[in-house]
Amino acid sequence: MSRIVAVVDVGSTAIRMVIAELLSSGNWRTLDRAGKPVPLGRDVFVSGKISRETMIQAIKILNGFRELLEGWKISLKDVRIIATSAIREARNRDTFIDRIFLRTGFKINPVEGIEENHLTYLAVQHALKGMRSQLSRSSSLIIEVGGGSTEIMLLRRAKMVAAHSLRLGTVRMEQQLLPSSGLENNMEDVLRENIRGMKEILDSELPLTRIKSFVAVGGDARKAAMEVGKKEQEHISIIRKEDFIDFINRITEYSIDDIVQKLGISYHEAEGFLPALLIYKLFITATSAEELIIPDVSIREGMLITFALGSNEAVEKQFYTQVIASAVNLGRKYHFDEGHARHVSHLGLMLFDQFQKEHGLDRHSRLILEAAAILHDIGTYVRTSGHHKHSQYLTANSELFGFSRGDMRILSNVVRYHRKATPTGSHTNYISLNREDRLKVLKLSAMLRVADALDRGHVQRIRGFTLESREEDLILRCSSQGDMSIEKYGLALKSDMFEEVFGYHVVIE
Amino acid sequence: MENDKKTDEQIDLFFNREISWVEFNARVLSEALDPRTPLLERLKFLSIVGSNFDEFFMVRTAGLKRQLRTGNYVRCPSGLSPSEQLDAIHDRVTDIMNSVYTCLLSDILPKLEDEGLRMLKPKQYSLAQRRFAKQLFEDSIFPVLTPVRSESGKLLSQAVNLRIHAAFLLKPYSSGNTLHETDEDEHLAIVQVPQSLDRFIFLPDKSKSYSITLIEDIIIQHAELLFPGYEIAEHIIFRLTRDADIGVDEERDEDFVEAMEEVLINRRSGFSVRLSITDTSAALKRMLQNALGLEDRDIYEHPGPLDLSSLMELVSQSGFNHLRYEEWIPARPAAIAEDIVLWDLLKQKDIMLFHPFESFLPVINLIKEASVDPGVLAIKMTLYRTSGDSPIIRALEKAAEKGKQVTVLVELKARFDEERNIEWAQRLEQAGVIVVYGIARLKVHAKALLIVRREEEGIQRYVHLGTGNYNDKTAKLYTDIGFLSSKEIYTYETSLFFNAITGYSSIPSLTKLIMAPSMLKQRLIQLIERETQRSSTENPGKITVKLNALSDPDIIKALYRASRKGVEVKLNIRGICMLVPGIEGMSKNITVISIVDRFLEHARIMYFYNGGLEEVYCSSADWMPRNLDRRVELMFPIENEPLKKRAIHILNTYFQDNCKAHKLNPDGSYTKKHPRKDGDRFRSQEALYKEIQENPSSRSTADTKEFVVRRKPPRSSS
Repeated sequence: MSRIVAVVDVGSTAIRMVIAELLSSGNWRTLDRAGKPVPLGRDVFVSGKISRETMIQAIKILNGFRELLEGWKISLKDVRIIATSAIREARNRDTFIDRIFLRTGFKINPVEGIEENHLTYLAVQHALKGMRSQLSRSSSLIIEVGGGSTEIMLLRRAKMVAAHSLRLGTVRMEQQLLPSSGLENNMEDVLRENIRGMKEILDSELPLTRIKSFVAVGGDARKAAMEVGKKEQEHISIIRKEDFIDFINRITEYSIDDIVQKLGISYHEAEGFLPALLIYKLFITATSAEELIIPDVSIREGMLITFALGSNEAVEKQFYTQVIASAVNLGRKYHFDEGHARHVSHLGLMLFDQFQKEHGLDRHSRLILEAAAILHDIGTYVRTSGHHKHSQYLTANSELFGFSRGDMRILSNVVRYHRKATPTGSHTNYISLNREDRLKVLKLSAMLRVADALDRGHVQRIRGFTLESREEDLILRCSSQGDMSIEKYGLALKSDMFEEVFGYHVVIE
Repeated sequence: MENDKKTDEQIDLFFNREISWVEFNARVLSEALDPRTPLLERLKFLSIVGSNFDEFFMVRTAGLKRQLRTGNYVRCPSGLSPSEQLDAIHDRVTDIMNSVYTCLLSDILPKLEDEGLRMLKPKQYSLAQRRFAKQLFEDSIFPVLTPVRSESGKLLSQAVNLRIHAAFLLKPYSSGNTLHETDEDEHLAIVQVPQSLDRFIFLPDKSKSYSITLIEDIIIQHAELLFPGYEIAEHIIFRLTRDADIGVDEERDEDFVEAMEEVLINRRSGFSVRLSITDTSAALKRMLQNALGLEDRDIYEHPGPLDLSSLMELVSQSGFNHLRYEEWIPARPAAIAEDIVLWDLLKQKDIMLFHPFESFLPVINLIKEASVDPGVLAIKMTLYRTSGDSPIIRALEKAAEKGKQVTVLVELKARFDEERNIEWAQRLEQAGVIVVYGIARLKVHAKALLIVRREEEGIQRYVHLGTGNYNDKTAKLYTDIGFLSSKEIYTYETSLFFNAITGYSSIPSLTKLIMAPSMLKQRLIQLIERETQRSSTENPGKITVKLNALSDPDIIKALYRASRKGVEVKLNIRGICMLVPGIEGMSKNITVISIVDRFLEHARIMYFYNGGLEEVYCSSADWMPRNLDRRVELMFPIENEPLKKRAIHILNTYFQDNCKAHKLNPDGSYTKKHPRKDGDRFRSQEALYKEIQENPSSRSTADTKEFVVRRKPPRSSS
């Protein structure tokens, strides 16, 4: 029998739910939806915390959802409750999450901005299946404007170049930007000022003028599509750029009341409508795209895909590829030795896979190792000496598609410990991790060191190896010809940590 | 911005809503006047005229009087002030009521007497009957009477809405030694006729006939026993209509049921709207009128009996079947073969049901089946008015007991059904049903049923959408369309609809279903506009609509624009129609008919020619501001070709009617259609009934005693 699951999304402007039946094909069928407005974003972006009234409102909505779930006979273990920027940033987020849990049984799981990117990406991928060829030929920008944040992804021929999460959203705009700018009357100017920096960063990662496909995600974009777009495929609508700009010019003249009346939306939605469209406009006009591609999906669908992920290898694989593509792109930004980076990553994974039984880490840790291997040397861009430390802060301050802040903290530590000193009590970045994550760092760094040593000469001499454990020794049988003295020397220098962590002495044969 | 250019002669005209409604009741009366209508059915139509007026005065006239009192009103679209409307109502209602009593007293009652049902006045009693009446009064009536005497009319505040009362003018016997030492010579006393007693008393009769008398006549006859020491100078029977247009406090969400109960209590003491009175005492009439503070136009004097609605008791008297319509048995729908499981059938095709020509049973059976089916997870439905001991309620209780999630939206504000609705809603709640007591400031009038079933292939949902209530009793009397489907787009959007009315969700944007108040009116105007724009001289547009009422000024204006552009607009509006048809330059291309026959026309069907891509919709909503702006309603398209054809056929059939159809004239009057010669008679309900009966697949084989022979009819000898 098919499995029915639900995703609840506690957003900045509303709490929404989607209920879906997971199909054996790895696809799903949306059965039901619900959503009610709640001013979480307004509370948090103004006062920093969620008010009592809003909390009560949220409890009421979630209890309604629970009743709806009961009708579908869905148990809470098949429900994912995610929360985005408003909750993430609320000073009383822990109390809020606890109250909600006690009063409704829902365990809210806040997602990082950059994780939102991941979910959005998955959903967009799914919706745009039919347009894949177009996307794989050109460069594209995926943008989702929400209440509290804007998620942006850049793709070159369908390969992830960069992913960013901007603290810019429709509710945040209204509550923070406009009042302080003294420019209430010209929202567009305020917005333009605010995204200037981001546009420059994006431009450095991929010249925006090369972007031909502009994918706009979000409720406001969907609403605009209903007004001036046309349905292209089941899950996709298209708005021509001129039509979109005309539409914006038209509604700029409207009062909120007019928007409510003429577009048949609630006051709540109407308030953020124009700011959202303006953000899309400011980005699309920087690109060469002629139309907005609007898929009718959201991070909720992305979450649904992660539900189905285990059963769908293709999606999973695709996702990992994008994470690594994004890491490679970051490496390029710092002029890394791509051959060496990729090779270390290759060897590291080989070690990880063959050593699986001993380290017991999950698939996600493997991805962190892979990305850490790609990025371990980027600090040389700053200076060769102490480059592991430079690598650490560069990665810690970068965003990688698919990784949360927590993931990035682990990754930056792994990068840090790919050479020189092992962790000590004075390394605050290491100490601030929880026990589990510290262990992860130790194990992954230990493996990364071995892998790095195996390409000591940066010439990719060792293509592969098989593992064999003999009492205290872990023997790497290498399938390479020729002199391996450099690698052996490297290993002698760098296998100390591996020995410490796993208790094996590493030997090349 | 340029406004639409409108020349002077293009002024949009409207009929007054209230007068238009009164005209509808006149058409109901025409059925009572029609000698072709069986006698007891004629009596029934009179009773309906009576109860219709009761409701009208309690709500509409009361509303006008409130406007008049507060001075807070805008003129109606036809341009009349509340006072002008009250005058117009008085004049027309007086005319109609005169016809009603003439019809009753000099036509129907004498004919009933010929049939063996006599209505007797006390002076007509035989000795035995007189004795019987006296005995009855002493034993059963006297003990439950509560006479109230008063010097002033104050006690009238206790007169209960719509109940029969007797008023007496008392004079103390000059010799008598009364306890009351007053200066007044005359006293007013009032007795309420208890509702616990039958209105119609069967007197002993030695012949084969039935002799009936009114209970109030027996009371008057023996009233002196009620007032010892007094002489009864004059007497009168009266019936007061009070304002029932009392709104509920919408702010009260937590204890809404309680708030509603308070409304019901308040309704008993609403202000006086109408005094119906017999013509036996000018003095008492004046006293009552003054005491109640009523104007002349609020007084309706009749020869009696008052309260025609209670004639229904006589209509349902057993026997006398030859005085009723021949029975029309609802057919088993042709689409539903006898032993088929509806789940399977609905997976193959959509089904349309046309009640009461086709039975409502499949819908009830579907709910019953769902209540015990192990695969069913949830049942959701709206209940606006349902019958007292409803099989639907019982099935829902059962389903809840079986662990299914049952959600029912009960509209507590369904006028005059509030009390009943509170009662069974609480019963459902006790059974574990999630009961939603309506939505603040809106009435939920949509008719929707959703069943969620877990099947081998996955989740499958079934939906029923309709134009009529889930009420097995009225489904036998009202014409309505029901639509059953398992198509994802209908079922998914119905789920979203329920999420909104259950409070889980904000109003969703729907693509297939059209919901009021958010979208419906806008969409209707769009559909009319589209027809207008597409219409050309070579290929004129066509709109055919069947509704109960048309009173939304914006929609009427859109229809006028359509007419001006040459769109052929055919309207079949049973009740209120504020649109003025047949006016050059405004509505020349619009015709309006109204069908009043044995079944109450209730189905709402809309047809748009749309340049050949015909579209048909059914809806729970009439085109009235109250439906489009203040109610939650659903309109849905019928897209399946055969079903669409059938709906169009039904729509058109009514326009052929020349027996029960009334045509609306440009002056607001209606003219009943007549066949040119008898052979041309076309009665739409009969035709619709017969064609369904004649469809062999729709007849229950168990009932047939004849073969269905497929051949041409034998040639007639003449």
